[in-house]
Amino acid sequence: MTAVVVGASSGLGRALAVELARNGHDLLLVASDARDLAVMAADLHLRYAVRTESLAIDLAASANPGARILEALDGLPSPQALLLPVGMSRSDDDGSLAAAGIGQLLAINLHAPIAIAHALLPALLDARGVIVGFGSIAGARGRSRNIVYAAAKRGLQTYFESLRHGHLPSALRVQFHRLGFLRSNLTFGMKLPLPAAEPEAVARTVVASLGQGSFTRYQPRWWGLVALLVQCLPWFVFRRMRD
Amino acid sequence: MSTPRGFALARLDLRSFDRSYAARCHVQKPDRYRLIEALPADVQRITRGAGVSYVGASFGEDCVVQDLGVFDRLVEFDAEQGLLTVEAGASVGDVTRFSLAHGWLLPVVPGHPRATIGGCIAADVHGKNPARDGTFRRHVEAIELFDPTAGWLALDADQEAERFEACFAGFGIPGLIGSATLRLVRAPAAYSMRSLRVASLVEAGEVLRTHAGAPVLYGWHDARPGHFGRGVIRYGLEAKEAERVSGRSAADLPNTVAPWPLCTWNRLGIAAMNGWIQRRYAHAGQQHVPVESALFPLNEARAYYAGFGSAGFVEAQWLVPHARYSDFIEALQAAVARLRPRISLIASKLFDGVAQGLSFDGQGIALAIQMPQPKAPRQAAFIEALTALALEHQARPNLIKDSSLDAESARRGIADFELARECLRRFDPGALQRSELTRRLGL
Repeated sequence: MTAVVVGASSGLGRALAVELARNGHDLLLVASDARDLAVMAADLHLRYAVRTESLAIDLAASANPGARILEALDGLPSPQALLLPVGMSRSDDDGSLAAAGIGQLLAINLHAPIAIAHALLPALLDARGVIVGFGSIAGARGRSRNIVYAAAKRGLQTYFESLRHGHLPSALRVQFHRLGFLRSNLTFGMKLPLPAAEPEAVARTVVASLGQGSFTRYQPRWWGLVALLVQCLPWFVFRRMRD
Repeated sequence: MSTPRGFALARLDLRSFDRSYAARCHVQKPDRYRLIEALPADVQRITRGAGVSYVGASFGEDCVVQDLGVFDRLVEFDAEQGLLTVEAGASVGDVTRFSLAHGWLLPVVPGHPRATIGGCIAADVHGKNPARDGTFRRHVEAIELFDPTAGWLALDADQEAERFEACFAGFGIPGLIGSATLRLVRAPAAYSMRSLRVASLVEAGEVLRTHAGAPVLYGWHDARPGHFGRGVIRYGLEAKEAERVSGRSAADLPNTVAPWPLCTWNRLGIAAMNGWIQRRYAHAGQQHVPVESALFPLNEARAYYAGFGSAGFVEAQWLVPHARYSDFIEALQAAVARLRPRISLIASKLFDGVAQGLSFDGQGIALAIQMPQPKAPRQAAFIEALTALALEHQARPNLIKDSSLDAESARRGIADFELARECLRRFDPGALQRSELTRRLGL
């Protein structure tokens, strides 16, 4: 199987790329930093003897990232899996962002995944493949932090729901993982109110479930209970939650 | 210190592997190259790999610790020439497993499999028989280094040769090691391990010299009065393909070993352990052992390190010249009889190299003396006496092992210490690279 991983150079994306390679899948790795990608591709090829290609692309600046990925896939077997563990948050996403900042967050968290999914959809349908999106616990309920990020992630979830609505699992498996806290460079040094999952553990679960049908679920699964609790909180309680 | 912007910085409590030193540090954990470069050029820093050095070589107060743990990838492999390029955060255990799977071997590795390639260069570590294989520097073809001002530099024996040499036992001062190209050797199918009983450390020296060509060669010795020096010399020869040993090796020793509540290396515990070593190893005959198991005996020593308890231990390692060895052993035995310290184990190795810079190399017998609870008065008194004795016998200290060593003793033990220090600091004129080790030794 050939898989495309967008956001492959760090965090969950890197862990997914490793797990896919470990399972013998050829890969197209997509991320913003050419040097990191080159090393990733070399490492996975050497360790697991899989074919690896890479594409460095700035998703915030690219109007049509899907077309770039299709070009990069030229010469590789048709992709059967598209994983989109791509995302970006900013500490100043508190309602004070200028238009450029808003555009950057929307481009990376919403526009790019949708545009890439659209571009690869015909190939994935041909292969009866799987498309995997990643949301965030931040999208469970709107708060005064990560405002644009959470809106984009919730928008992405809606997009995946639409995809799932439009395609039977026998034609295209549409899987959406809503992520709790992950141990990554984004959360390094932060005091988190709940435990952070290891990206490698989440990646193992995500890759193991690629053959399953369509679904939306939390990763790790117990975050579903947390989200349910947060969604059930009366407004006067929820508005006091700042951390 | 103001917090530099542009990347995540955490305040973490870090501790040396021997538990002698702890500090609350600013830690950056970059996961992309641009985040390594993002640290402002005037910020004091030190690079950290696995953090398994006995001394505080990879952290300290008043600096940013750049943790390169995720830069652990294989970059390039020439299966014909045996050249392997890896990122500096790759562990020697990982490199060994990859190399062995392709019929190659990195001949010099320290006992802890999680030690990183960058750390092995920065400390110029030795392996299982330094008399045969030299130190780590002998097996490195090229280094890629990040200088906060000049950026990324390619170093090898021809290009920036002086800085290339300075990286070995440079303790991070010449800059951040990003990747290295390693020169591998053909791997044996297994090692045929044998053990020889020795009654004294003097006899151990003779046995070590006799088997100088063995790829694996070291001794373990009892240090209790009445049993002083008794032990075994373990030596391994390359086994033939027909003698290949399969089977899983023990899991890698973790980066940190949680100490047991009490120190088990009291006199009874030490007696029991030395008795066990005698029973297990001091038998005649040979045993075929997988290469990985022979290279990383510490994988089976988790309980040994946990047993030091929260007060930790100290390992004083001295390279004693052959000409002074017998006298030194006699004086050491007398000091042990007089001061009655608790020494959990003495390890012996043969060296036959040339002392360069601050590296632990030269010609002689190295003794690594491990002692629990180094701050206890009796223990501290012995460590002080040991240092004096070693210096008196012109022994050379291992800076990456001994957290009890002070700046003056290091200068007395390494004749060209000042010259080496000045050479290192020429590459770091702003004294940006600093750690607890560089502070303690005045590097």
